[in-house]
Amino acid sequence: MFKRQDLLKRVGMEIEFGLEDLAKYPFLKEAGDYVKELSLSVEDLGQEDYRPAVERAKQRVMEAIQKNYISSEISEPTVELLSFPLALMLVKAMNVEYIIHRYSLAEAIRAERLLKEEKKSIISYIFKSTFNVEPISVEHELFDFKINLIEYLKRATHFHEPEWKLINRVVENGFVYLKTYELVRLIREEIRRKIYDRMKGVSLPSMPKNLKEAVHEISGVLPPPSDRFQRVTPEKFPPCVIHTLDLLKKGQNVSHYGRFLLTTYLLSIGKSVDDIIDIYPRSPDFNERLTRYQVEHIAGMRGGRRRYKVPSCRTLATHGLCFKDKILCATIRSPLQFGKKPPFKKKSTRQIRE
Amino acid sequence: MIIVMNEKTIAVLKQAFKEFYFKNAEKITAPIRMKEREFGYMSFDKVMVRHLSFQTEGNLRAFLIKEMPHSVYYSCAYYYEPILAMDEKGWKGADLIFDIDADDIPTRCKEEHDRWICKDCNFMGKGKRPDKCPKCEGMRIDEEYWVCQSCLEATKDEAMKLMDFLLKDFGISMENIEVYFSGGRGYHVTVEKSALEELDQLARSEISDYVSGIGLSLESLGISKRASYEKMRRMLPLTNESGYRGRIAKFFSETEFEGYDGNDVRDKIIYIYEKMKHKNFENFVGEIVGKLSAKIDAMVTTDIHRIFRLPNTLHGSTGMLKRRCDDLLSFDPFVDAVALGEEPIQIFVDHSPKFTLKGKLFGPYKSERVKLPLMAAVYLMGKGLAEAD
Ligand code: SF4
Ligand SMILES: [Zn+2]
Ligand SMILES: [Zn+2]
Repeated sequence: MFKRQDLLKRVGMEIEFGLEDLAKYPFLKEAGDYVKELSLSVEDLGQEDYRPAVERAKQRVMEAIQKNYISSEISEPTVELLSFPLALMLVKAMNVEYIIHRYSLAEAIRAERLLKEEKKSIISYIFKSTFNVEPISVEHELFDFKINLIEYLKRATHFHEPEWKLINRVVENGFVYLKTYELVRLIREEIRRKIYDRMKGVSLPSMPKNLKEAVHEISGVLPPPSDRFQRVTPEKFPPCVIHTLDLLKKGQNVSHYGRFLLTTYLLSIGKSVDDIIDIYPRSPDFNERLTRYQVEHIAGMRGGRRRYKVPSCRTLATHGLCFKDKILCATIRSPLQFGKKPPFKKKSTRQIRE
Repeated sequence: MIIVMNEKTIAVLKQAFKEFYFKNAEKITAPIRMKEREFGYMSFDKVMVRHLSFQTEGNLRAFLIKEMPHSVYYSCAYYYEPILAMDEKGWKGADLIFDIDADDIPTRCKEEHDRWICKDCNFMGKGKRPDKCPKCEGMRIDEEYWVCQSCLEATKDEAMKLMDFLLKDFGISMENIEVYFSGGRGYHVTVEKSALEELDQLARSEISDYVSGIGLSLESLGISKRASYEKMRRMLPLTNESGYRGRIAKFFSETEFEGYDGNDVRDKIIYIYEKMKHKNFENFVGEIVGKLSAKIDAMVTTDIHRIFRLPNTLHGSTGMLKRRCDDLLSFDPFVDAVALGEEPIQIFVDHSPKFTLKGKLFGPYKSERVKLPLMAAVYLMGKGLAEAD
């Protein structure tokens, strides 16, 4: 059913792009098109022929829920490829927001893992066709690619580790130099969003019995809800912190910067690293080791550098995280001053440059 | 120090500005994409008006002649509706602008020519303003800046370093960069017509940190406590690299260090690192970065809604022009940005250090009545050091 020639034509002749590659990166448009061309009906999926694909789809989702991990070994490319849209249907059918998040992140991490080991030509192709970034391959002792400064900044500002700071990169003539794993890390969030959006767009047909059973089975492994928020219950938190905590409680996605705010704020008012890590398990993409690393890093316990400060109200506003209380926030410049300064007016600061 | 200008002084200044704008109307040019920008101005009574918009160059010229403002500003930002309130304007993008201000650069001359006065007890001192008055501990302190030739030379050096980052590291083409003397205390470097205009505040703060040398980690130079010397040897920078790595390598290669006489820069860095030990070496690199980086005002570069003095207009505190520098190296603000004429007028000077305009030396003055060419009279009155007589 699959002709290698057709596929080569579709992606342009300069690179070798086969079914195996589509199976590795099933979120690509090319992969979607390929599956579409098979024009399978929902009834077909109930057939015994497709059992392996359904099984693999189930495995994908279970792995994501239980381990935040989706294996990337490919035994049969067609099965692997087909299992992706099937997994999307399963997750969508469960209709639990945080599972949708968790699954899309696990898929993104799987793709990241594979891309790190990928041929340069394929990386370049995928970046260009799917993410509108044109990495240029370089022959360099320390780096594999360079990308446009603007493309870099748009993404790297979401990371807080010092190595992503522009000043710690090699920047030359409008390009930033990167190792393959760094380039791929830069784009992981976009892969996640792509998969997330794709899932939101999936329309659910009435499913055959075997798929319904799969959904049921997966629902059985969902972790029980618990309350990890007791230890950090709001006393007199500022609105921005309360809002972000609320999002976490509801299991919604909190931006990198939102977490940065929470972590720095809670550390500053004396909460322990463990208490803080505890509030994150409900978040859709919880990964304890990584969270611990990040919290400790922000606390200045890792990487040997500075302890990060709570961002200013001004910065928070630019991130859309400020939910200013007209009276209580009127005179403060940092969430840390909330409830500590009397709310009277102060002269505005110098705004104009002579 | 004259805190509030009297009416006569204001009238003289306004008249001088009016005549200048009238005679030089054709030199007042609109910034690119004028209709998408916000304009604002400050009158000589220090009233600030914002959220204006001009549709044609003609409107702008007529406005200047009619209003005779102390200062005219335009936004770095492009908006859908520049006249609406800030959050309704609809931000499209903004020029990337750097401000280098003598105020931010510690120069020795400041100890000589800057003064401050406590508003509560009138205690006065020279140099930089203290946080609180040493006499009465009051916090309400007025400052009086003076800008001299060496202050402006220092800002020029910073501007040159900045240009190097913009051209070599960021790959911005010279055609998209304009350098202006601000008319006051320094330079504005503007990047227009570039894709950088879409950058948000966060991205701009990375750019700002980069040029000001903030946050450089030793790891980015291949140095860490854990790494072996063999590994460091492979990762250390070379002089032919670009960015900070190359600049720092060049610094090491060009600077003499006691006890080292080889010419392999990586060996030399390891030699110094071993001698100094980690902590001292880290501080040392900090100092080097301080020298290599450009002292810009970070608040300005990261503010995507800020307004700036409009090029080719007069600065109300000096009577000098914000003027484009075609050749930064040879630009002399006290000659090239002097705009007003030399017809004599009589003023009363409270006090003033020596200064030079268009090669003519003035001052120092102390509580005296003098007849000065308009350019010098306005310079002192604008700064609040003199009044019309
Ligand atoms: S003003 Fe500051 S403290 Fe108040 S909500 Fe906004 S960011 Fe939080
Ligand atoms: Zn005092
Ligand atoms: Zn000086």
